Amino acid sequence: MRKLIPLALILAIIFIGAYIITPKLTPQIQVRPLGEFYLENSYFGGYSAKSPEVVTAILWDYRGVDTLFETSVFFLAIIGSLTLFRLNKKQEKEAKQKTEEFSGGLTLVIKSVTKIIVAMILAVSASIALHGHLTPGGGFQGGSALAVAPLLIIAAYSKYALEDHGLDKTRALILRSIGLLGIALVALVPLLNGGFIMQNQPIFPAEVGRQLVSGSLIYYNFFEFLAVGAGFTAVFLLLAIPESVFKRFLRREAHE
Amino acid sequence: MNEVLFYIGAIMIIIGGICDLFGALGLLKFPNFYIRLHAATVGTIGGAVVPLFGVGFLALGADFLPHKYAIAGASFVTGIIVLLAAPAGAHALAYAAHKAKIVKWQPKVDHLAEVREND
Repeated sequence: MRKLIPLALILAIIFIGAYIITPKLTPQIQVRPLGEFYLENSYFGGYSAKSPEVVTAILWDYRGVDTLFETSVFFLAIIGSLTLFRLNKKQEKEAKQKTEEFSGGLTLVIKSVTKIIVAMILAVSASIALHGHLTPGGGFQGGSALAVAPLLIIAAYSKYALEDHGLDKTRALILRSIGLLGIALVALVPLLNGGFIMQNQPIFPAEVGRQLVSGSLIYYNFFEFLAVGAGFTAVFLLLAIPESVFKRFLRREAHE
Repeated sequence: MNEVLFYIGAIMIIIGGICDLFGALGLLKFPNFYIRLHAATVGTIGGAVVPLFGVGFLALGADFLPHKYAIAGASFVTGIIVLLAAPAGAHALAYAAHKAKIVKWQPKVDHLAEVREND
């Protein structure tokens, strides 16, 4: 009973505070001038992304450099975790060998469901990323959804199944690097054509074959999708190395 | 027709809320892991799949909604995905807990005992 007193006190403070403060807040009825500017210019404006999805236009166009550096923060986080788990060639080979207690993953029920769901996740994540300039979502969200697919495969089948089919840590890192390189190149292309860095509309076409691609937004979204998905996959593959194997490496290093 | 769909959807959403409540109560009150897993599945199937289908029907029956087919389609697809994933997830949890011998195994009836002895 005594434990409930602080809870009741906190609830009372919150409710009384809300009761006193709420009537004094003036409701926001109109869009602010800045918001109005973005809403009007992101699709209809002359020098904008031609994207009906204003958030993506703001992210990659109006404050693109900010997003570029956000991506590099993510890149550095991945680099940090790779450094934490660094293995030499021999250890990497050993980590790929199946351990004795490995029994082939979970049961048939889980494996069959995982197969269906992985296919669905791939489709949905590609749709989120490639529709990023039309509907809510975008590269980072699509990439995060994509990373769930290898995670499910690791949980149901084990990481050896991924590595046997060719998606090992090195491949994931190569894919991620391709993604980052793509983002950098798309950002630098306007400089060659006499524009500013990350400039969009006059350089990249807004429509390809009457299909709205919103200039550079679709390229940014696609490469970000690749970079984020593959980066997460690399980290998941490292995390899936069994603890016993890692402890063996550490013990051996301590002896040497 | 539209009104019928609307009311079916609304009733399914209410059923979903009740299932969620019972699932939460079960998670708090049930004695061991396997039975709590049952409560959790009531929460996901009854409390997520049924209201998702309900939202789909409700959207189909609503005349005032813009993009009602998009909303209905998205909720049906999500419902089917959860319908597939939730039993597999519960199965995986039970299997992993049994295999790792984390949870104490004290069945009232064990129909598999004979089979296991013959292995």
